[in-house]
Amino acid sequence: MDAPEWACLLDVLDLIKDKHDGTLAYRKSCRMMICGSCGMRMDGRAVLACKERMKPIVDAGHVPVISAMGNMPVLKDLVVDMSPFWGKIRSVKPWLDPGYDEVAEKERIVSQQQMNVIHKEALCIMCGCCVSECNSMEADPDFMGPAALAKGFRFVGDARDQADVERLNTLNEEHGIWDCTRCYFCNERCPKGVDPRDAIAKLGAESVKQGVDHDMGAKHAKWFIRSTETTGWLRETELVPKTQGIIEAIKQTGFALKLARKGKVPPPFPPHVAADVKEARALRELVGEQGRDGALGIVQGEHALGRIEFTEEAGARENAPEIQPGVEPPPAEG
Amino acid sequence: MEAKYDVLVVGAGCAGMRAAIEAHDAGADVALISKIHPVRSHSGAAEGGINAALGNASEDDPEKHAFDTVKGSDYLGDQDAIQILCDEAPDDVYQLENWGAVFSRTEDGRIAQRPFGAAGEPRTAYAADITGHVLVHVLYEQVMKRDLKVYEEFFVWKLAVDDDRCQGVIAWNLLDGGLATIGAKTVILATGGAGRLYTGTTNAYACTGDGMAIALREGVALKDMEMMQFHPTTLAPTGVLITEGTRGEGAFLVNSEGDRFLKNYAPNAMELASRDVISRAEQTEIDEGRGVDGNVLLDMRHLGAEKILERLHGTRELSMVFAGVDPIYEPIPVRPGAHYHMGGVDTDVWGRTSLEGLYAAGECACVSVHGANRLGGNALMETITFGKRAASHAADWALTHTTVEVREALETDAERELRVLLDRTEGERPWSIRNELAETMHVNFGVFRREDQMRKQGEIVDSLRERFESVVVEDKGDVFNSDLTQALELGFLLELAECMVIAGLERKESRGAHARPYDYPERDDENYMRHTLVTWQDGRPKLNWKPVTTTKWQPMERTY
Ligand SMILES: Cc1cc2nc3c(=O)[nH]c(=O)nc-3n(C[C@H](O)[C@H](O)[C@H](O)COP(=O)(O)OP(=O)(O)OC[C@H]3O[C@@H](n4cnc5c(N)ncnc54)[C@H](O)[C@@H]3O)c2cc1C
Ligand code: SF4
Ligand code: SF4
Ligand code: FES
Repeated sequence: MDAPEWACLLDVLDLIKDKHDGTLAYRKSCRMMICGSCGMRMDGRAVLACKERMKPIVDAGHVPVISAMGNMPVLKDLVVDMSPFWGKIRSVKPWLDPGYDEVAEKERIVSQQQMNVIHKEALCIMCGCCVSECNSMEADPDFMGPAALAKGFRFVGDARDQADVERLNTLNEEHGIWDCTRCYFCNERCPKGVDPRDAIAKLGAESVKQGVDHDMGAKHAKWFIRSTETTGWLRETELVPKTQGIIEAIKQTGFALKLARKGKVPPPFPPHVAADVKEARALRELVGEQGRDGALGIVQGEHALGRIEFTEEAGARENAPEIQPGVEPPPAEG
Repeated sequence: MEAKYDVLVVGAGCAGMRAAIEAHDAGADVALISKIHPVRSHSGAAEGGINAALGNASEDDPEKHAFDTVKGSDYLGDQDAIQILCDEAPDDVYQLENWGAVFSRTEDGRIAQRPFGAAGEPRTAYAADITGHVLVHVLYEQVMKRDLKVYEEFFVWKLAVDDDRCQGVIAWNLLDGGLATIGAKTVILATGGAGRLYTGTTNAYACTGDGMAIALREGVALKDMEMMQFHPTTLAPTGVLITEGTRGEGAFLVNSEGDRFLKNYAPNAMELASRDVISRAEQTEIDEGRGVDGNVLLDMRHLGAEKILERLHGTRELSMVFAGVDPIYEPIPVRPGAHYHMGGVDTDVWGRTSLEGLYAAGECACVSVHGANRLGGNALMETITFGKRAASHAADWALTHTTVEVREALETDAERELRVLLDRTEGERPWSIRNELAETMHVNFGVFRREDQMRKQGEIVDSLRERFESVVVEDKGDVFNSDLTQALELGFLLELAECMVIAGLERKESRGAHARPYDYPERDDENYMRHTLVTWQDGRPKLNWKPVTTTKWQPMERTY
């Protein structure tokens, strides 16, 4: 089959549909990576068909396998049923709750810095690529999933929204943020740089900050932090009761004893303090010093990581535009 | 019949969703119906922004906005409609912000505004380079909040006209197959543009002018159909839009001889001249043999890798993905591409058409606020303001009027017509007709219009329509039969092409997007400061005229 050099996967599918098989079914519209119609899998990874150039693949002599996205029922060929996807989006009450009904006379005053907090999440085109790849979703089809959770943060992080705590409570429920396995597939496969896993981390941080910590996941995270300041060790014997509760912990004693026999668990008494506990404490202080916690802390953490990475690459990323608080993203025209 | 609503909105882009929200808030029972999911609508592709005289970046007022728009329209815009747009725009934008639109901000936290072509003040409100995306999503959020009924992936094929009133639509259910009649006291068409008439276009695959053709078939007139705006920098070969920002940053346009040819057309403004001027200059270079494979080159290498990475990141990504060219090392091939249809369903300032119960708003309508040339940023504003207005009128009308009565026969007739198409097993598949139509429109009805070429195009379209009579749909199934809907879309496009050609031939002047340098190079206000109006009679287009409404602005020469 002949295709022009510039063809992307979507062009190739069009050629197949035109010239070989008119029954081939797939969704498309904008062909410029903005409408989110054309999510599908190429060699098992979720992509936007209009974003994948075929020339390098052909040059490499590779014949890719195209299939429908995962974690969603297939209706025909490459068309999946997106209704569960939209149902989850709806479950996060995805609309601004300003706390009042009447429309203000003018715009509300919000700084660019405040807007930048949700810049990445606002980029989401609802293509479903992240959901297609989500490991948690595979195990638990009721897991809210990366796209809906990112949408959740879009509102939790919006300075104009007045329903944060209510939203965090919903997002902390079963199938919510703490059920994510942190596999990072969503970050890796999102074609728009939304980084849904980061949004989930921000939701976690914000939950703890706002005192919404009834979930095991939140307790687990809190205990981790506490350990850094006390012993510098992760003390499973305390971690389990602190996160899962006493009864659960007793049920797991057998397992714990087995671990202890293999030397995997330090005995609970006397508290065993790590030799390098100072380092753990210093690290904790360093993070604390950054002065902002909750969701904003995570954004900052990302920037810090970005900077480390960047010096390591000896300036390779220097010119890549990055959204920074207070600096406007470059505008464009259309 | 499926269901009965007060207001049924066909199309769920910015115009359609804004309309549905308004109708709901006015107390009407409303539903949206769209051939693609609402957030997939092409409104989402708009990058630049939306015009309203908020005065956040300078002293501005609706009066100035109106004047710029009238002048930009080359005096073919209706001044009463323009005044309404400009007056209502600020409040409509504040409302979008109140609903949660993520606009970029000024230092003091207001909605940011920046300069845009042919606007006297910086009045284009924007959200980085994703304004349309942000608006589509905020409107969909409000649709979800109101829990409005959305018929997703339903392809509207016909209007249900009974008793000389539009009383609903007949639609093909894409997911499950089969026709459904959905009854409504009023129907608002918001189906967007028809850029797919051209090979090189910034428009999505879904932009096939369905609403215009559907209305045309029921005797409703289409206005100013010859007015198709070409954007000067669309990426060859696909037509993806390359923002004007590249030229703003200092990129050059050069021909095959490496010449910055704009010095011969717009020696002062050069790359920053207006869209129509640059499009025509490019086309002249290409026509006179100084193009590169039918394109000119947009060169930004001299800007350096640093600036390109920092300021033109999006453009670089588009160039690499869609043309396989990295602008840091190579110039990118661009050409004028069909971008925006100023023409559309003839409506008044409340979106009303000549058919009772039928309204139109957004790009598929022609109110007309853009006249012969649209200013960047005015299209999104029109979708919002006139989507809202059409819905408020429709809701009012519906709440004070009768019930819906559609004869069964309408659906059975439609069913029969569709069967004929689906049962045909031998003949031509639609794609070759589709490609020929788009290629010939580009050559014969593009940036420049010549009498002989337009006539030839008329004949070509006739013959394509004849071939279309025996077109074959290969997919006979019910589930997601896009083979069928694409064939129906082609039928729409062919009729619209006929309308454009007849209007183009009869407008014997050069105005805005309609450029006839070879026989009528000047604007002729005495004879042609009026709208073309095409209706459909016995399978052929018929041309009429309609006066332009002027209020306080008399025509002047359009120089910048
Ligand atoms: C690349 C690009 C950039 C642009 N940038 C700007 C800008 O910066 N500023 C500006 O003001 N304007 C801009 N424009 C123009 C502007 O975006 C459009 O004119 C406007 O968004 C059209 O909106 P709409 O609601 O009328 O139609 P659309 O958003 O196209 O929506 C049409 C809807 O109708 C539905 N539909 C169509 N046919 C059928 C059918 N048969 N049955 C059921 N449903 C149907 C579709 O599913 C869709 O939901 C740009 C346009 C393009 C292409
Ligand atoms: S990181 Fe979490 S949300 Fe993302 S794909 Fe993995 S399990 Fe799913
Ligand atoms: S987060 Fe990314 S991958 Fe997931 S739906 Fe949004 S754009 Fe698609
Ligand atoms: S077709 Fe719109 S994202 Fe690919």
